[in-house]
Amino acid sequence: MSAHAHNDDHGHGELQMGHHHVSSSAMFFNVLVALLILTVVTVGASRIDFGPANMLIAMLIASVKASLVILFFMHVKWDTAINKIVFLSSFLFLSLLFVFTLADQATRRIDHPMHVTKAKVSKEWAYPKPASSEKH
Amino acid sequence: MTTHAPVLDAHKSHSEKPKHYLNCSSGFWSWASTLDHKRIGLMYLIGTGLAFLAGGLFALLVRLHLWQPDGMLFSNDQYNQIFTLHGAFMVFLFVIPAIPGSLGNIVLPLMLGAKDVALPRLNLLSFYLWLSGAVLAALAIVMGGFDTGWTFYAPYSLYTNKAVVTIGLAIFMLGFSSIFTGLNFIVTTHKLRAPGLTWFRMPLFVWALYATSLLQVLATPVLGITILLVAFERLYNIGIFDPRLGGDPVLFEHFFWFYSHPAVYIMVLPAFGIISELVTVHSRKPLFGYKLIAFSSLAIAIISFLVWGHHMFTSGQSTYAMFAFSFLTFFVAIPTAIKEFSWVATIWKGSIALNSPMLYTLAFLIIFAIGGLTGVILGSLNVDLHLHDTYFVVAHFHYVMMGSIALAFFAGLHHWWPKMFGVMYNETLAKIACLVIFVGFNATFIPQFIMGSQGMPRRYATYVPEFQPYHSASTIGAMILGSGVALMVFYLVASLLTGKKAMQNQWGGVTLDWMSPTPPPLENFAHTPKVTTEVYDYSTLDLKSTQTPIG
Amino acid sequence: MSHDGHHSVVIPAPGPEFVPHTVAHHFDTPVQEFQAAKLGFWLFLATEILLFGGLFAAYFYYHDLYPETFKVGGQQLDWKLGAINTSVLLLSSWTMAMGVRSAQTSQKQKTMMFCALTVVGAAIFMVIKFFEYKAKTEHGLFVFPHMFDGYQVDTTTMTGSLPWFTDVHNVMVDSTGAPLPHGHLFFAIYVTMTAIHGLHVIIGAGLILWVMKGVAKGRFHAGYYLPVDLVGLYWHLVDLIWIFLFPLLYLVP
Repeated sequence: MSAHAHNDDHGHGELQMGHHHVSSSAMFFNVLVALLILTVVTVGASRIDFGPANMLIAMLIASVKASLVILFFMHVKWDTAINKIVFLSSFLFLSLLFVFTLADQATRRIDHPMHVTKAKVSKEWAYPKPASSEKH
Repeated sequence: MTTHAPVLDAHKSHSEKPKHYLNCSSGFWSWASTLDHKRIGLMYLIGTGLAFLAGGLFALLVRLHLWQPDGMLFSNDQYNQIFTLHGAFMVFLFVIPAIPGSLGNIVLPLMLGAKDVALPRLNLLSFYLWLSGAVLAALAIVMGGFDTGWTFYAPYSLYTNKAVVTIGLAIFMLGFSSIFTGLNFIVTTHKLRAPGLTWFRMPLFVWALYATSLLQVLATPVLGITILLVAFERLYNIGIFDPRLGGDPVLFEHFFWFYSHPAVYIMVLPAFGIISELVTVHSRKPLFGYKLIAFSSLAIAIISFLVWGHHMFTSGQSTYAMFAFSFLTFFVAIPTAIKEFSWVATIWKGSIALNSPMLYTLAFLIIFAIGGLTGVILGSLNVDLHLHDTYFVVAHFHYVMMGSIALAFFAGLHHWWPKMFGVMYNETLAKIACLVIFVGFNATFIPQFIMGSQGMPRRYATYVPEFQPYHSASTIGAMILGSGVALMVFYLVASLLTGKKAMQNQWGGVTLDWMSPTPPPLENFAHTPKVTTEVYDYSTLDLKSTQTPIG
Repeated sequence: MSHDGHHSVVIPAPGPEFVPHTVAHHFDTPVQEFQAAKLGFWLFLATEILLFGGLFAAYFYYHDLYPETFKVGGQQLDWKLGAINTSVLLLSSWTMAMGVRSAQTSQKQKTMMFCALTVVGAAIFMVIKFFEYKAKTEHGLFVFPHMFDGYQVDTTTMTGSLPWFTDVHNVMVDSTGAPLPHGHLFFAIYVTMTAIHGLHVIIGAGLILWVMKGVAKGRFHAGYYLPVDLVGLYWHLVDLIWIFLFPLLYLVP
């Protein structure tokens, strides 16, 4: 996205909201094109089986798209440090929710010496199906 | 501060009575539509105060019921509703909003030398969200009540035939009320500090409210979505928390405690802030370890996001997750202990004034030491497996929530009462009430520690007769505690009618809140103050010069 | 910087078609007002991220537990409609960004046009969403008319059934034809996530319409365009969430 221009023609006076960055139309257009191309890539990547990396790759592409929206459309690239920190920290703290919750789920059925019984607990045991409930 | 003379209005020489935020306009609408942070704070004070009295009444009913092993007053179903009402009212309508909403709202802009909070309309919206939540919670009692405990654990909350959706909506609103207050305080602290008021010149109450606000903004939304999902579950059976439909109730607990553990610090951090403020003013000594206390607030805020699983040691969560959560829990004790030690070190060799705010503060220091240390006991995995869901846990969190937070709130209330209303309450009665509350509180909850460690489970309407002596002692303690609170309400209300005029700077504080006229006018300061000295520098202020009556 | 007394700061209008902006009385400077509102709004957006984050956490949790159910469930959604809606939202995000830019450069007509185009994008998105929901109802994968009928438990056979999930074409089955565990769960999560997102689309469109009223009055120009900027940020957030929803729901990895 090197096409952005620094357009400062709107003045620096005291009676303005302050010194602001106005991005060029060309830059916005380039970002839009990149986002649409990445949407095609998203669909294309879903057709290829990368095995366990499927989710990772899908989320990686989505994150690139999200970064483009955040940095350019939402102007975060030119925003103040505190606003950047605020928005980033929401993702950081959200990742805490993800990491601990999913880690609990992933390790819940691994045997540990602390367990009194060594019985293997299957998913079917833990979450009994409501016998043929879904069918009519 | 350059000058310690109050920045009084230039027009004061006029013989008319000075205008302040209480008498500048009158009528219902002038309050209902006010954007003034002090008026909104006062409305919060009345609202949360009434919620506290209601919650306290429910607590007394619970204690009366438990006077006998088979219960005195209620059916089991009624008992479940009464203790749920006590918990939900106290947590969501009082402990979370009380200090930020009332004292925070009134004092924070004053301490920053600002005219108001940064977003006054949002501030009023916060209050109305709180009010709507409170009204809805009251409606839910009529619409069938709720009996899930304040935690709304699935799957019971999905199956019970009570008004869970209504109370859920109420909590959703209260949550956003809390979020908007926090958001407002963060913006105010960043953007409206007076010239010269650098971050490390800010009073510690501001630091504590700032850390609280971070938690309110970052944790509360998850409670919002959790409560919404419970409502959806009840409305159209999505199955996310319902084990019959493939859902996992433990996921509910993860979501719930992701909010509700940080929420414990949303409750207690403002209390820490009040105590930090009061120990220095009433000992007339700069705070020991100012920066340590400031940073420990932030450290507590961050660590509080890493420990929520310690509420779920018996919920069927993974053994490995339990190890991690138990281990991380101990880290909370470090910044918390730093605070406790710093407060004690501040008092040490200080010029201590044993007035009522300081007495409440000392009561806090003792009670919080017990509340905090029993928390460390409960944080260790193996001990918690024994103590989980017993009265030991009940006693522990009441030492924190009631004994520490409510007492700090009372301390702050007594400290800023002359600032807020320009009148002083009866000091003798205040000291008596403080003593009664302290004795009553410990008499209520020490027996609960003992019977909890012996296995008395919480949330039961009946119990085996061997626990009766403890329960009776606890009930008597609760009655003493209740009468202490009643006495406090009495002399505080009486002071508004007959209290003698307060001093301009009642306690000789050197923070900006005491530099505005008492009570403060609209927009607080006639001129934006400039700060040139370090925080809590008492050497520049002669205590006697502050003791001039107002008006 | 401090202004004593009660006279407020006024930002002059850059031309006759605009009106001046009066800075709120408790702020000393326009910069302070702008930055305070902006920081407040970023904090609000952070709460939105965390609110949706809970739903995403639930998605990943059950995706891990029932991967087959999610895979087959995702195949029941029309990825082409999903891709079209993704493009519509991306385009509307672009028009919104251009709308903010037009306000920043005091171009009243262009601001109006780009805002209107954004609302059109929102409308197209919701219409497509409506037809997708209609198809789900027809296929018995989420029967909206029966969504509040509750979970019916037959006490004699101890089996339960969900009136909103009938799966009339019997699609939620594995390769051997056996029913997949908890097929309804994917659609419950799909509808909950997209409905809450859709609600944000509607709120966003409403906010843009409100901003357009101000644009018509000439309230927003190079000196003061704060509300356009904030509503723009909100709209981009709606887009942002959809960027993640699309691959997770329509192309289940």
